[in-house]
Amino acid sequence: MKPAPFRYAAAQSLEHALALKAEAGEEARFLAGGQSLIPAMNFRLAQPAMLIDLNPLDDLDYITVDNGALRIGARTRYSRVEHCAEVARWQPLLAEVLPNIAHPQIRNRGTLCGNLSNADPASELPAVMLAAGARMHAHSAGGDRWIAAADFFINLFETALQPDEMLVEIELPALPARSGTCFIEVARRPGDYAMAGVAASLTLDANGRCGSASIALCNAGPTPMAAAAAAQLLIGGVLDAEAIAAAAAQAQEEVEPNGNVHCTADYQRHLAGVLTRRALTSAAARARQGTSA
Amino acid sequence: MNHPLEPGLKSLAEAGLGSIALTVNGRPALLNCAPPTRLAHALRDELGLTGTKIGCDAGDCGACTVLLDGKQVCSCITAVAQCAGREVTTIEGLAQDGKLNRLQQAFLKYGAAQCGICTPGMLMAASDLLAGNAAPTQAEVEDALGGVLCRCTGYQKIVESVLAVAHDDLTLEPPTAGRAVGSRLARLDGVSKLTGAEKYGADEYPAGALWLRVVRSPHARAGFTLGDLDAFRRKYPQIEGFITAADVPENSFCVFPVPKDQPVLADGHVRFRGEAVLGLLGERDAIIAIPEAEMPITWQPRHALTEPEEALTATGDLIHDFAPENVLCRGRVVKGDVQAAFPMAAHVVEENFRTSYVEHAYIEPEAGYAEVVSQGGQERLRLFVCTQTPYMDKEEVARVLKLPHDRVRVVPSAIGGGFGGKLDISVQPLLAVAAWKLKRPVRIVYTRPESMASTPKRHPSRIRVRLGCDKEGKLTAMDFAGDFNTGAYASWGSTVANRVPIHASGPYALPNVRALTRAVYTNNAIAGAFRGFGVPQACIATETLMDELAEKCGIDALEFRYRNAIRAGDATACGQVLQASAGLDQCLDALRPAWAGAKEASAAFNGQAIRSGSRKRRGAGLACMWYGIGNTVIANPSTMTIGLRASGRVVLYNGAQEIGQGTYTIMPQIAADALGVPVSLIDQVHSDTDLTEDAGKSSASRQTFVSGNAAKFAAEDLRRQLLQLAGTAADATLRLEGTALIAGTSRIDLQGLTPINERGDLALGSGYFNPPTVPLDADGQGVPYATFAFAAQLAEVEVDLDYGTVKVLHIHAAHDVGRAVNPTQVEGQIHGGIAQGLGLALMEEYISGKTDNLHDYLIPTVGDMPRITTYLIEDAEPLGPYGAKGVGEPALVPTAPAIYSAIRAATGVRVRLAPATPDRLKAALKAHEAGQRL
Repeated sequence: MKPAPFRYAAAQSLEHALALKAEAGEEARFLAGGQSLIPAMNFRLAQPAMLIDLNPLDDLDYITVDNGALRIGARTRYSRVEHCAEVARWQPLLAEVLPNIAHPQIRNRGTLCGNLSNADPASELPAVMLAAGARMHAHSAGGDRWIAAADFFINLFETALQPDEMLVEIELPALPARSGTCFIEVARRPGDYAMAGVAASLTLDANGRCGSASIALCNAGPTPMAAAAAAQLLIGGVLDAEAIAAAAAQAQEEVEPNGNVHCTADYQRHLAGVLTRRALTSAAARARQGTSA
Repeated sequence: MNHPLEPGLKSLAEAGLGSIALTVNGRPALLNCAPPTRLAHALRDELGLTGTKIGCDAGDCGACTVLLDGKQVCSCITAVAQCAGREVTTIEGLAQDGKLNRLQQAFLKYGAAQCGICTPGMLMAASDLLAGNAAPTQAEVEDALGGVLCRCTGYQKIVESVLAVAHDDLTLEPPTAGRAVGSRLARLDGVSKLTGAEKYGADEYPAGALWLRVVRSPHARAGFTLGDLDAFRRKYPQIEGFITAADVPENSFCVFPVPKDQPVLADGHVRFRGEAVLGLLGERDAIIAIPEAEMPITWQPRHALTEPEEALTATGDLIHDFAPENVLCRGRVVKGDVQAAFPMAAHVVEENFRTSYVEHAYIEPEAGYAEVVSQGGQERLRLFVCTQTPYMDKEEVARVLKLPHDRVRVVPSAIGGGFGGKLDISVQPLLAVAAWKLKRPVRIVYTRPESMASTPKRHPSRIRVRLGCDKEGKLTAMDFAGDFNTGAYASWGSTVANRVPIHASGPYALPNVRALTRAVYTNNAIAGAFRGFGVPQACIATETLMDELAEKCGIDALEFRYRNAIRAGDATACGQVLQASAGLDQCLDALRPAWAGAKEASAAFNGQAIRSGSRKRRGAGLACMWYGIGNTVIANPSTMTIGLRASGRVVLYNGAQEIGQGTYTIMPQIAADALGVPVSLIDQVHSDTDLTEDAGKSSASRQTFVSGNAAKFAAEDLRRQLLQLAGTAADATLRLEGTALIAGTSRIDLQGLTPINERGDLALGSGYFNPPTVPLDADGQGVPYATFAFAAQLAEVEVDLDYGTVKVLHIHAAHDVGRAVNPTQVEGQIHGGIAQGLGLALMEEYISGKTDNLHDYLIPTVGDMPRITTYLIEDAEPLGPYGAKGVGEPALVPTAPAIYSAIRAATGVRVRLAPATPDRLKAALKAHEAGQRL
């Protein structure tokens, strides 16, 4: 099947892309890797009037580390991040999640910012952004703004981006010392979207108690779901099996799964609990060992 | 349609507006297509590089994988604009100077390509890996190939081939005269599959062919009226023609003589979602661009009967007027006295089972073209199409067009997977009607959702079984009742209803059997032929109860089956006394060491898991099967001919349709040994209804047994004629040396002989075989099949008790194939059958409108497959060619019950609904832990 006819423009610069978008408005879509957008267009599930191709923008393909933060540009593809040693060192959660995302073909084309702009709650990356405390850098002709991941994902396939804005960069804070992270999911097959998945990040204080905690789940509601109350239960306490079990039980209460063709909502809720327990257990062990991941 | 770049043309701008310059397979190319055009379409349509396949058009199957600057990408979801100035490598770019590269050689040697439709994607994904890692590990290979789906091979030979590139000697040693049968001859149609040269249904069409777009029902049951088509055409002038029910000379078809219940195009009433109602013809992109919502059709939806329970009790609400109670067909086998036997049994078990719709998911969607050709002053219809059954297609298309059979010619394309799905009618009559009406060539390629919605599936089943044995553990009685949802039209539903009761007893000696089946019409997807014709569903039920009975008797599950195994001299439930080649006991013997080892290993694992608090458990399970080779009673003859040419080469006219299973290799192997020449001297004319004799369908695991015999007899006939010509004794040796025939002591110069036909054959041998059967009486007593295949499979699984997920670790598959004509291909069939059996057990569930794509309909990936160990048992079948039987369907039948048996061993949970998805298994585990039954 061929997609419906539409206009296509290759962006010559970021400003050119934004100008085109500002002119065309919501009918236009940015095309990055296209690994979600093009299949949707092939089956007419998406019919943008115009595509603004970001692929010529080589200057948006970068991974940098400075001031204790990891920055990834809008044109940076999964495979580059997956194979970047700096990423594994600074934000192991991201390194751990990437092999779970589809298959090599998709990772060779798809971009992180494209995925996040698509805001599919079934995808692993939005949950990882929440757990990692990422900030999203939105840019438009009118200027820049930084949006916390927690404020970025508004609803199913809906973000805080304005029609004239582009997600040009994501910024992930480096993990503090005595931290441990874990991403874990259950998918029907390797590479499929998870039936549910959990990203957890824990940092111990000087006394070995939980100094900070964040937990976020994918495919557990209309957006990536932060299990904030579950994380709160852990803070200040010892990360033992009992505390982790209590947090996992709380996380199970915080999710809003809908069920889908692959599993029931009950099962997703069940997984949310089990996965949270397993993810926290691993993350805590890693934090104690000082291995991060 | 090549657009070579002029020398000196440097940039995109210089190439002109709308043109995209890139490098393809090391050569500059210029694409004159819109920037968002998918690379896959551009490669195929603009550059004629049809080696790159489109299986899903959504990035789900990976058949379209190419290299972009050396990295694997899905070309169906990559815009050509993003390839400007970059290097693309396709399968056509792998062989250098006409010589296969090492990866291709490894694929050829180890049988990694079966149907070949995923081969381009596999080769390109592996090329990416090997370029950066010359000696990868198995895990690295599996990761690299994870995005390419294969439905034939079970992946094992593909992975082995990629691993072999680093070290193995990849030269091929063709068998010498008399040693072809039993050799691992590389597939003779292999090279074209490995270079991208093979032409599948979508890969070839005449210039100017119109595109046929089929408009289909969005409703499961509805009345409809077509609006003003002339007005519609005025609005959309790109429409160059229509086909409607009124254009179909005989608007009904079915694979069976009765009932011809399915219209080519529905006439005012549809019975399932996806039924064809209208055809639009025109230029492809223009005709596809017309919005679905604009179609001039008014629908009157009706209540749909989607489940058999409802259809059976919907008094007076008939889906077809001729089928009271909505029953298409009843099957019945009754032997002994079940009612008297059960009260005498020492142990009795009983259970209900359900299975779901299963989609064939061949990676090649249905495709082809039809054209009207003038021949001898007469118009004929020529049909190029992917099919398992060219001769049936010819008859059915002739019937629909109301033409004599000889005015239709079917030229099969290469087939990108069939598994029973292409044993049915899909695009054939639609193309024929359109081409005949417009007198222009017409082509079609189904979209993936269209293929899935409109073509038949495996029947969902509801089966109740009661099984009893005496205190020694000898089976005494089975009562079996099964309802099979056949959907809106008959397709092969009658075959399922009839085949299942014959096989219901399983491969066991059982004195008292009652097996009753019904194929029930519903307004759901059509169910038809799918590898095993209902027997896999029945095997789940009966083998699960075999485990239960063994446990009640306190007998080991293998031993229990061994004691009850049917053997030569025993009578089947149909009263057929097996004469020979009943090798189940040998299959079970072959598995004994693995069975003991697997039980011990899982017990040790579980002990450790319990001690360490792990929630993983392992288990080992067994299942057995038998399978009748060929049609059930119905005649299924094959004819083969083989000629000798003046060139000194032999030509086999091979009408046994290749569908990936290897008939274009097996038949020459058999013919070569029967004639007494090396297989390298044999050329072939492949299946074509004008050029080859009718060798029946590639179905029912029949080709090796039936057509193999025909090939053997044909070659023996030719040998007889040649020896006669040479005037030598019937047992003289025969050799071909250049253009000389040497028989015994005489030498004949073939150039001096006069051909007997216009093809140039100097002599033509002919062979015919129709398996001997005896019609079944009202109680199903008779001889339904000339021979049976037998198998036992052992599954080792690991279950995560928290997740409810199952990882199959290892399958040991022992198959009595009579004789393995080509062990590589036999193993390939077993591996592929196991992959489909694993899918049936754990993953696959087609839900109309919800899983009409390869993203939501899940078939096993390389990462889902266990290690497979095969054990080939060769209990020769006296009726078979060199003792051979068949293996295509038997490979799949015992896999799902073996996996379920292993799950039960690991967890105590008895699976009663296929597929055992994680959510279902988790619910069952919870109930089991709570002491409840779910």
